[in-house]
Amino acid sequence: MPVARVNRVLCVAEKPSIAKAVANHLAGGQVTTRNVRGNPYVKNYEFQYTFQTWGACTVTMTSVLGHLLSHDFDARYKAWKSCDPSQLFEASIDDFVEESKQPLADNIQSQARYCQILYIWTDCDREGENIGTEIRSVAVKGNPSLSQPGKTVRARFSNIERAHIINAAGNPIALDEAQSNAVQSRIELDLRIGASFTRNLTLSVQPMLRQHFGNDDQGVISYGSCQFPTLGFVVERYLRVRNFVPETFWSIKVMHEKDRVKVNFRWARNHLFDRMVVVVLFERCLAAKTARVTKVQTKPTSKWKPLPLTTVELQKCGSTFLRLDSARVMQVAEGLYQKGWISYPRTETDQFDRDMDLRALVQKQTQGGDWAQFAQGLVDGGFSLPRSGRNNDKAHPPIHPVNFVNPTQLNQDEQRVHEFVVRRFLACCSEDARGSKTDISIVFGSELFSTSGLTVLERNYLDVYKYDRWTSSQELPRFQEGEVFEPTEALMSEGQTSPPGYLTEPELIALMDANGIGTDATMAEHISKIKERQYVETRARARGARQGDDDDGAASDGETAAGAAPAAGRGRGRGRARGRGGRGGGGGEDRGATNGMQEFIPTTLGVALVEGYENMGFEISLTKPFLRKEMELKMKAICEGRKTKAEVVHETIEQYRDVYVRTQQRLDTLRAAVRKYCFGENG
Amino acid sequence: MPSQRLLTATPATANGNAAEIGASVSAFLTAKGVPPTQAWLHTFLSGVRLTTPVIALQQTALFQIRKADLQTSITRSPSNLLPPGTTDPATKEKHVCGPITVQVLDIEDIGRSRWSQVEALEALERGETTKGREVIRVVPEESGPDSTAVADEAKSSGPHKLLLQDASGAQAYAMELLPLKGVGVQMSVGGKLVLRDFTVARGLILLEPRNVELLGGKVEAWDKKWREERKQRLKAKAGIGGER
Repeated sequence: MPVARVNRVLCVAEKPSIAKAVANHLAGGQVTTRNVRGNPYVKNYEFQYTFQTWGACTVTMTSVLGHLLSHDFDARYKAWKSCDPSQLFEASIDDFVEESKQPLADNIQSQARYCQILYIWTDCDREGENIGTEIRSVAVKGNPSLSQPGKTVRARFSNIERAHIINAAGNPIALDEAQSNAVQSRIELDLRIGASFTRNLTLSVQPMLRQHFGNDDQGVISYGSCQFPTLGFVVERYLRVRNFVPETFWSIKVMHEKDRVKVNFRWARNHLFDRMVVVVLFERCLAAKTARVTKVQTKPTSKWKPLPLTTVELQKCGSTFLRLDSARVMQVAEGLYQKGWISYPRTETDQFDRDMDLRALVQKQTQGGDWAQFAQGLVDGGFSLPRSGRNNDKAHPPIHPVNFVNPTQLNQDEQRVHEFVVRRFLACCSEDARGSKTDISIVFGSELFSTSGLTVLERNYLDVYKYDRWTSSQELPRFQEGEVFEPTEALMSEGQTSPPGYLTEPELIALMDANGIGTDATMAEHISKIKERQYVETRARARGARQGDDDDGAASDGETAAGAAPAAGRGRGRGRARGRGGRGGGGGEDRGATNGMQEFIPTTLGVALVEGYENMGFEISLTKPFLRKEMELKMKAICEGRKTKAEVVHETIEQYRDVYVRTQQRLDTLRAAVRKYCFGENG
Repeated sequence: MPSQRLLTATPATANGNAAEIGASVSAFLTAKGVPPTQAWLHTFLSGVRLTTPVIALQQTALFQIRKADLQTSITRSPSNLLPPGTTDPATKEKHVCGPITVQVLDIEDIGRSRWSQVEALEALERGETTKGREVIRVVPEESGPDSTAVADEAKSSGPHKLLLQDASGAQAYAMELLPLKGVGVQMSVGGKLVLRDFTVARGLILLEPRNVELLGGKVEAWDKKWREERKQRLKAKAGIGGER
């Protein structure tokens, strides 16, 4: 057996809380904590640990605070008027350590000198991989040997639970250069494209805003290749709502009372937009006098338990059920992860690995909380394997509770998110809800009608997952196939279509997801950005104001469809676009947890930007998702080794440069839109 | 003219002379429901090579007559025109044997609001359905109780209401009682239908697969105009509230 050499290993995590947790797990409590000069948040934890790979070592565990390096253009190009914005497509970029992070870099550099191994413990996603390479580049300055193969490794972990961490410590892997390169390319592209377009946009539009409103407050009007399509969705829906024209439709309703039960039959055609046709059909029904039952079918039915939890789903549900916006949900979830209560909250995976011990995780939840009894029920035999979705990012499992924590130890928002994660997980491990459904179809004249009844027999997962609803309908009387009856009531009814509502956050997230812009990690950020830049505002949706596009019987509430033009900008050129009926209330600000669902209303500037760019023509499409979607796909290609960073950066720059040139030629269109929406001038 | 004489005096070919060919084509078309006028037949024959096999000529004739305006191409008789009083709303029900040949002047999808159809057209114009540049605006339903998925009517269309015209120029509305294959807003204006054994209720012809034969075809000029003006018409109809 080889003599164990005492090595020194430097471990670097992405955040101080992770460093502390990992250090304590590995050290078994024997940790010496030292301060880091120049930064009060980051500490160096020293302890002894025996690694499977290297034997007994002295370990220093520290962290950074997110990205260590910053990137900006060379000094010559920094000033806005220093060059034509289009030059930024090629201008050289410097990588440097920002002043506030210098102490962290110094710490790593000096610690690296004494170590033979650099062990990266950043979060296991693309950004984490990139941060890992940043850390390596800094460490190598203090100790060049760390750049040799096998000298820098990384840990693969999905949560901060002790056994998991110890297992990770024993199985280091190599840094994924491809993923890091993907992030590098994204950073470079966002910088080049963002800066060039932002400068161009601001220089074109800012003067006119300042001049019109007579102040110098007007700030930068920024462009982001993901923010704009996101804004595009908001504006498009806003315009749809405002331009909506309600239309009348007609329907035939049949009701039959039997065994003291009033059964309503629904027309197979739902409703039609031609009165004459419906009158003719209705008359023929009446002429037939009787209706005949064509089908009576009772069969078992079920309501499926939910799929394992992904980030996108968490954000959508957070908005819908917990009334927390996506940024807040992620913030809280991140906190829960760092404290070791839930697994890594950034994941696309909606299937649990075969060899995960889910029962053990369920067992942990029997210790307390409102769900303890339900969890016990699962342990006692009610356990059922979760459904598997179609996605697996191979990096992290679905979001699930890792340990038991007494809810009283968490703050209010944490409690709600944590509860959701636990309930969702337990629901996944339950059975589907089961029921019995009866479908009855009748023919009346030439027209078909149907009705159905539901009896819920076993609630199963619904008992723990209070976010889903499934209730028994009224019990249907007995009908027989072939039975003929004269309907108690048959009448023609009229209704009007009503507009969709403005976009809510879950809808926006769903659209971003469906159109491939933003990753689970970034969607919330993009939404925050467009709020921050005041391209959109949020307000609480007025209760009951909105119904589906052609909701049967929904009467128009008397508001004029056209509505007023968006309110002209007040002072800062950021007037809020007028919503239907102009209900503003005090909902202009975004509050984290509110009672009503939040909806997005674009500001006049937001509308002007989207309309302006839209009018420039189809090929420009900065406010459409496909350019960004292509970029995301190319980034994926880098990760999978199908494309190099250089190729992707080059191709994408060329695409955007082309767009840039075209927008340059059509800036007047943009200015016209600003005049129209921000200044309220017509045409 | 020498060439003409040559044509009419070529008994050596298996196809016979123009008169015989004409009769054969006419019989074929009549059986199909589109009996040609003499004038139309004459124009047709002067534009083809009579040495072509008769079967091919018949098909070509059918192809061409389908692209013509019925009013100028087929012979009229009481038996192939819409009976008088067809469109009378006072008549509750009327049965017609046919066969009646009609052409389609207008098609409407009455199952969807006109506004949603306008929006769909505008999305098309903005290029949102172009391959590679698709914008998805309808996302799968959520399971939450506050589900706010926009109930976009991008779903299938129908039923359809058609405006039909017979060879005399008389027009009548018809609707699909049951779905008819080939009938929809993608259908060509000027397309020909043969109706047999159908019911007219309050002036509205009721169409079912068993009483409609779709001959197809289109009148290029009408179809083009129809497509160009479609969005405008839909908007106008929506603005008035869609009431007929």
